Amino acid sequence: MAKVELKNLVKVYEGNVTAVDKATITVNDKEFVVFVGPSGCGKSTTLRMVAGLEDITEGELYIDGKMVNDVPPKDRDIAMVFQNYALYPHMTVYENMAFGLKIRKVAKAEIDKRVRDAARILDIEKLLDRRPKQLSGGQRQRVAVGRAIVRNPKVFLFDEPLSNLDAKLRVQMRAELIELHNRLQATMIYVTHDQVEAMTMGDKIVVMRDGKVNQIGSPLYLYNHPINKFVAGFMGSPPMNFLTVKIVDEGGQLYVVVGNMKLKPAPSHVELLKAYVGKEVSFGIRPEDIPVAAEGIDSSAGKILARVTVVEPLGAEINIYASTNEQSLISRVPPHHTYKIGDDIAFAPLMEKARYFDRENELAILPVKFDEQA
Amino acid sequence: MKKTESPGVKLAKKTLFYVVATLLVMTWLLPLVIGVFTSLKSMDELMADPVMWRPPKVLHWENFVDTWNKAGMGRYIINTFIVTVPSVVGALLVSSLAAFALAFYRFKGSRFILITFVAGMLIPFQMLMIPVFRMSNAIGIDDSWAGVMLFHMAFQLGFCTFFMRNFMKQIPISQIEAPRIDGAGEFTIYSKIILPLSLPSLAALGVLEFTWIWNDLLWSLVLLRTDALKTVTLGLANMQGEFISRYNLTAAGSIIAALAPLAVFLFFQRWFIEGLTMGADKG
Repeated sequence: MAKVELKNLVKVYEGNVTAVDKATITVNDKEFVVFVGPSGCGKSTTLRMVAGLEDITEGELYIDGKMVNDVPPKDRDIAMVFQNYALYPHMTVYENMAFGLKIRKVAKAEIDKRVRDAARILDIEKLLDRRPKQLSGGQRQRVAVGRAIVRNPKVFLFDEPLSNLDAKLRVQMRAELIELHNRLQATMIYVTHDQVEAMTMGDKIVVMRDGKVNQIGSPLYLYNHPINKFVAGFMGSPPMNFLTVKIVDEGGQLYVVVGNMKLKPAPSHVELLKAYVGKEVSFGIRPEDIPVAAEGIDSSAGKILARVTVVEPLGAEINIYASTNEQSLISRVPPHHTYKIGDDIAFAPLMEKARYFDRENELAILPVKFDEQA
Repeated sequence: MKKTESPGVKLAKKTLFYVVATLLVMTWLLPLVIGVFTSLKSMDELMADPVMWRPPKVLHWENFVDTWNKAGMGRYIINTFIVTVPSVVGALLVSSLAAFALAFYRFKGSRFILITFVAGMLIPFQMLMIPVFRMSNAIGIDDSWAGVMLFHMAFQLGFCTFFMRNFMKQIPISQIEAPRIDGAGEFTIYSKIILPLSLPSLAALGVLEFTWIWNDLLWSLVLLRTDALKTVTLGLANMQGEFISRYNLTAAGSIIAALAPLAVFLFFQRWFIEGLTMGADKG
């Protein structure tokens, strides 16, 4: 059992800079939780507070039910994988992995067993006698993970561990880390600025911005029910489209108006949109939810007419960039479409999938949970 | 675009470079050559021939034996080792500890302490001769090796700490944090991680310090009176009068004295490995 609870954690640096503002997050036992957000959002600082590398200015941190605010890192029973790996350059791979155990006075035979087990899991058995500088980036990454594994800690912390690898290796290591989590059944906290990593790896994602936790939930929950415009735009690639629209009431029928085009909102959204009649709101729609109006696509809710500006053929699909009334949008369409730049195009948005955001506070107008589990 | 030079200009530049470089090297080597020649000449030859850079007619190797035995160089060399080695080791040890703290810990006054170390380097030693002499008298460490060692260590600390701190500053902070999470105490981090990573700079500093302390005249002159305690530079200075300026013996003594720092340099140079920290991180 290793549950990590952050209760109103605050980090204020010298000069009154608030890096983390009242972060409350629960990481359940055996859960893989990803802290994600743009650089400077406080995600690494939060992780470093859990590790004990940063003092906690305010709030409480519990590991396994025990408050550890003032417990030094070595007594928190955690292991951390650093962004730059932080291998000891003057030691061999074996010594790197054994270091933490030697310090803790684990018996030699036990150390040997654990190091070799970890090396086997990570497929680095042949590298045990090498020094870090004789390893490739991916191999160093494995050693860094191995150094954490041998300790058999309550909690694993990862601080952007894949950001120094090339794209292909990153995808491979991503899969290996997921597999490792399944095998070890350990509690893991993973920090990244890459929303793809967050979506693919996390059981639960914590989205942070400007030191504040914006939303907590499973990848699909955040994708489908973003709490605000930031989370909506951050999760997903290409990002969600945002169009400025006006809500109008024409004889009891509500319309979402984009320039001179009228769309009928989904019946389930009507009640909540009534409060915004006569006002502008942000209309959010994901690229896959705004197909080209063609045969077999329901366009009874109305169409958005636009002009193609960029075509990105990706093989399995095409991203079409188009603009309408000086607003631009991206649509992800099947590869059989043959649009060219400058073509007129009509989109039939799936209104049931549309999200609406208040223009002033950028919050979702449809009801959404801050913490999916809460 | 860089202008391409004509072959003539290129050749002229190259020639000029080699002429200047050769002159500089010769200027630097000439005293050394004269020293070696002088050490191998007899006193008669030295007096008869005013041309110092003429090679000796007969090689008088016995000059080295004489300077070692009769002029007491043997004793002086041993004394100097006794003073120099603990001074260098002590200075490196204390300064690397101080540098570790200054490089990695954030605490009030750390900047002030660093500035104090640097400022200490700027005080001319001559200004301190009388205070040091009086102080060593007052606490009873005058005319003793302990006193010389203590002052050597103290005066080298500023430079050593500054040098080591700047080197350690380049070590990524994660090299401290990783062992801290691994469970290492602060002294273990210093001794098992940071010190081994600092070996190249320790080696360089060790050679520099050894040479400086070995060649020091000032503090030995101020602090040592008893002949049996004197170091090699003092011994050489003494020879001037004692043997009515037997230059050949003085020169032979100087050469023997210069061999020690050379040996230390050769011994330590294998640790001058650049980029030892390479591979610690993403590389």
